[in-house]
Amino acid sequence: MEEIYQYAWLIPVLPLVGAMLVGLGLISWNQVTNRLRQINAVFVVSLLGAAMFLSCALLWSQIQGHAPYTRTLEWAAAGNFHLNMGYTIDHLTALMLVIVTTVAFLVMVYTDGYMAHDPGYVRFYAYLSLFSSSMLGLVVSPNLVQIYIFWELVGMCSYLLVGFWYDRPSAADAAQKAFVVNRVGDFGLLLGILGLYWATGSFEFGEMGDRLQDLVQSGSISNFLAIVFAILVFLGPVAKSAQFPLHVWLPDAMEGPTPISALIHAATMVAAGVFLIARMYPIFEGVPAAMNVIAYTGAFTAFLGATIAITQNDIKKGLAYSTISQLGYMVMAMGIGSYSAGLFHLMTHAYFKAMLFLGSGSVIHGMEAVVGHDPSLAQDMRMMGGLRKYMPITAITFLIGCLAISGIPPFAGFWSKDEILGNAFAANPVLWAVGYLTAGITAFYMFRMYFSTFEGKFRGNETEIRHQLKSADAMAVAAGFKEPVPAFGPGAMDTRELAATHAGHDPHAHSEYPHESPWTMVLPLMLLAVPSMLVGLVGTPYANYFEEFIFPPSETLAEVAQKAAEFNQTEFFVMAGSSVGISLIGITLASLMYLQGKINPAAIAAKIKPLYELSLNKWYFDDIYDLAFVKGLRRLARQVMEVDFRVVDGAVNLTGFFTLISGEGLKYLENGRAQFYALIVFGAVLGLVILFGVT
Amino acid sequence: MYVVGNKYLFSVMLSTQFPWLTTILLLPLVAASVIPLIPDQHIKSIRWYAFGVGIADFALMVYTFWCKYDLQNSTLQLAESYPWVPQLGLNWSLAVDGLSMPLVLLTGLITSLAMLAAWNVTNKPRLFYVLMLAMYSAQIGVFAAQDMLLFFLMWELELVPVYLLISIWGGQNRRYAATKFILYTAAASIFILVGGFAMAFYGDTVTFDMASLGMKQYPKGFEMLVYAGLLIAFGVKLPIFPLHTWLPDAHSEASAPISMILAGVLLKMGGYALIRMNIEMLPNAHVYFAPVLVILGVVNIIYGALAAFAQTNLKRRLAYSSIAHMGFVLIGIASFTEIGIGGAVLQMVSHGLIAASLFFLSGVTYERTHTLIMEKMGGMAQQMPKVFALFTAGSMASLALPGMSGFVGELTIFLGITTSDAYNPTFKVVVVLLAAVGLILTPIYLLSMLRQVFYGVNNSGIVIEGYLGDAKPREMFIASCLLVPIIAIGFYPKVATQTYDVKTVAVATQVRNVLPTVVAQQGRSPLYSTVLIAPHLAPAESRSLLASK
Repeated sequence: MEEIYQYAWLIPVLPLVGAMLVGLGLISWNQVTNRLRQINAVFVVSLLGAAMFLSCALLWSQIQGHAPYTRTLEWAAAGNFHLNMGYTIDHLTALMLVIVTTVAFLVMVYTDGYMAHDPGYVRFYAYLSLFSSSMLGLVVSPNLVQIYIFWELVGMCSYLLVGFWYDRPSAADAAQKAFVVNRVGDFGLLLGILGLYWATGSFEFGEMGDRLQDLVQSGSISNFLAIVFAILVFLGPVAKSAQFPLHVWLPDAMEGPTPISALIHAATMVAAGVFLIARMYPIFEGVPAAMNVIAYTGAFTAFLGATIAITQNDIKKGLAYSTISQLGYMVMAMGIGSYSAGLFHLMTHAYFKAMLFLGSGSVIHGMEAVVGHDPSLAQDMRMMGGLRKYMPITAITFLIGCLAISGIPPFAGFWSKDEILGNAFAANPVLWAVGYLTAGITAFYMFRMYFSTFEGKFRGNETEIRHQLKSADAMAVAAGFKEPVPAFGPGAMDTRELAATHAGHDPHAHSEYPHESPWTMVLPLMLLAVPSMLVGLVGTPYANYFEEFIFPPSETLAEVAQKAAEFNQTEFFVMAGSSVGISLIGITLASLMYLQGKINPAAIAAKIKPLYELSLNKWYFDDIYDLAFVKGLRRLARQVMEVDFRVVDGAVNLTGFFTLISGEGLKYLENGRAQFYALIVFGAVLGLVILFGVT
Repeated sequence: MYVVGNKYLFSVMLSTQFPWLTTILLLPLVAASVIPLIPDQHIKSIRWYAFGVGIADFALMVYTFWCKYDLQNSTLQLAESYPWVPQLGLNWSLAVDGLSMPLVLLTGLITSLAMLAAWNVTNKPRLFYVLMLAMYSAQIGVFAAQDMLLFFLMWELELVPVYLLISIWGGQNRRYAATKFILYTAAASIFILVGGFAMAFYGDTVTFDMASLGMKQYPKGFEMLVYAGLLIAFGVKLPIFPLHTWLPDAHSEASAPISMILAGVLLKMGGYALIRMNIEMLPNAHVYFAPVLVILGVVNIIYGALAAFAQTNLKRRLAYSSIAHMGFVLIGIASFTEIGIGGAVLQMVSHGLIAASLFFLSGVTYERTHTLIMEKMGGMAQQMPKVFALFTAGSMASLALPGMSGFVGELTIFLGITTSDAYNPTFKVVVVLLAAVGLILTPIYLLSMLRQVFYGVNNSGIVIEGYLGDAKPREMFIASCLLVPIIAIGFYPKVATQTYDVKTVAVATQVRNVLPTVVAQQGRSPLYSTVLIAPHLAPAESRSLLASK
């Protein structure tokens, strides 16, 4: 078994090799590489497959009880300072490796179908491979600096992939926004790392935690400072895992191709924040104030995301806000000390949310056959309806996803969410109440999404709705919110199509009704449906294998087992029953509104207009940030430039040498007679030498 | 081993060694003098000749440093010294150590690539290449000179070609930019001369030898005065706010190959000279000035980044970003730690490579669009995806993305200032916080640049030169020659750090040794007594680092 640990470095390196070779091919032999589409894809996918196989072997070995394994090599040194890089394999790493590789593998298979007609097909695989490599490097990191390195690298991959369709200005804006908002988080993380290093002299997680504890207890470091460092580190997860107040980038990131939304912006990268909190648990655990901040941030984000998701009409945006909300649950779980429940939810969420996103991609793919490659039509749920008839597999898998996220037993989400809510109830009833209410809202908006997409009758050919949507779009254009550019979806990246205007019927709308997606897209959906249904069973309160495997570094297996033995069946039934109950209320409401039409949602919206507007406008976060930060920074920069030009430069120009060497001297120089200048210098040297020689 | 002063005027040092550094230094200059004689109507052979000389010299450097240089030795190596103008006490003395060696290599690489980048120059090509080669020699001279007068001569010798290269091959405002450049730097270099003379003539012996100057003991007021003068001189070059205003004009008006050298090599002269003279020769004054340097560094970072964000001209934006990045060098220099000073050297090398690649790519873009105004561009990625890919890589390197050299430089500087025991914690917190704000600002202006130039649809009416199209193999070659070391250093920093590590450790030890005595002195101004604190150091034997073997 030891050999696989020695070769574990291959896990991040294999996809990196794939990305580099394909990338070099794209730069050096662009046309040839682009023509060998599926050969490149198979190459990349098989490398990741090998990494997946290795990860599974490592997980199996860890389950068998193999000791954690770390291997490092000196990366940088200056004097007495040494910084090592390498990899560490323990329970948490092995679990994350399997989650990341399996989801990435399935997404890559799916990509073949989704991006089949895109000229950027090969480039997309190169980026995907690069991302997988960075993400795997992140989870195997043995110290905080390496985490920071890969933390930023996954951010860059996200930037590249959100801006993948670089001819869409909205994609360019979204990519930049994602990067900059994440940099704000990284700013905190870096300061936190520096502060902790200054205090403890280490980058290792366990060592850092122990020393910080000692330092706080001995009074060398004030408690306040420890809180500040912990919160600064937490800023990293706040940005990466899209927590309030840095959540604004994630919905915009949906401009990227859908496989990316599934892999990066639902299953893996955004969960990296939760992973970091888990890794830094030795630090956070000793700072209760920071834990409270984490818990409340998570709870508020869960509520915020859910309330915005209710009113979204774009299927991907709706799922994005749902992701924010679910990440809020995980962060809240971490904050209340429910370590394994948080990571359990990370795992179940990774599978069912990846499936939901891939399902939405399948829906968009099918819709594009009817409405053309226009995101404002193909992603809008008002154009959908009745799709179950045309895409049955997508519909069934999407329904499984909705049941899982709503917490209906025995689907995966039920077990993880219920564990979080149970622990929250024990820790802090306020947090529980927020989580409980959010669970109901979640069930409502997910089924609103399911019913209006897959049930009822198909609305894609109703020109009235289409015009309505297009005119809303046109109004945004006229108001200057959006630039009037043709939009290109998958399969419309041919440069000839740049000239295509959108007058009249879209030339790519070649069908009256949507169709089921090709097998490469449907197969990953079906495969993801299996863990979405069953993976929760490893963490039931009756036999919690998950908790025996993943528990906080400060606890021992015996303590975990003891806790599990204290399980109270009645309490479980009350808690689970109530959370299933509120979910069922949510589902019933959604079905009354969107399936049976007994309640008119528009009437309700009109009655509570301020609340409706608040949700529709995403609590006005984007507008406030735009006013305060974007415009403010632009103004500040302009002022600095003015100062630079008028004051700094002006002062030097006037009082400086321009006046000193006025008139004749300046003319000499401006005529380009540099010899004259050289003469002055050499003359000066000579003069000074003589002067000093004489005295 | 050094010929000091007038005592050994006629004792020519007979070295059994081959004069490697002299050869490296003089090769381009000698080769340049042949250019007027080359018969060539189509300038084809001239440019191959010039580029060949550049590469040959670079290869010679690599060979010399690979085979003849000992990385574990922190003292000066490959030393040569010959009396040149005995009447002036001017010695031709050259040597390299861990501080100058990486920068000499950087000079060789970037100047050679700049000549390759200037492939399309048709206006007075002979003069162009003569000046490029002359500048090549002078730059090596600045980094290798161990005699104060020789250093000054090389410093001046390098100005004239740059002035002409900007004023003849520049943009519309080239005369203004070139004049501003020469006036700034020439006026500043007076301070070098005066400072150098003051140090040379102080005390009993008159010498221009840098090592001997470093061993002299100067009175406090004198040292402070000389330090201030040299700080102004090198501060113009680095540049340090508020002496930076020549730089945006010079960078934006110079043609791309000249901008590559300006940003890639010339700015590094300032940083190099600050360490070589201000720290090594005047360590006592450095302790006084260090907090000022840190504050100026922070100002550079924030001010440069904000000013860069407001620019509409592509090259001006990159120029201001250089100012911001050089701020980190200042902080590293003044950190009093091994990591920090090492980080400053790394940041200089790294910024040399990154800025050169970005300026080169801006030139590639300009050749196709004939504009540098970013608002007029847009959607360029469709016509030139390769340039887009390279530009993205360069920008990522510049915004300190891990895996690239810029990150390692900035991280080590951050670690250096954080772990520095010479500063008051509150001061450190403020400095680190503000410098880290620069990390947020950098992607804002660089990614906006990418967005404006490359993303979106090309509806600006700018027609890309059809015959130029996407990046040519020559352009790909230049960009990859710069990006490969950037990524190599980012992946495994030891490839770069081991070339200077022993030297920067020695420099840090030297300044740390004087730190307690200076800090303990009474009657300091309140600014310093609150900012600087005396670290508890084991009393180390004072040893001069510049002492020759």
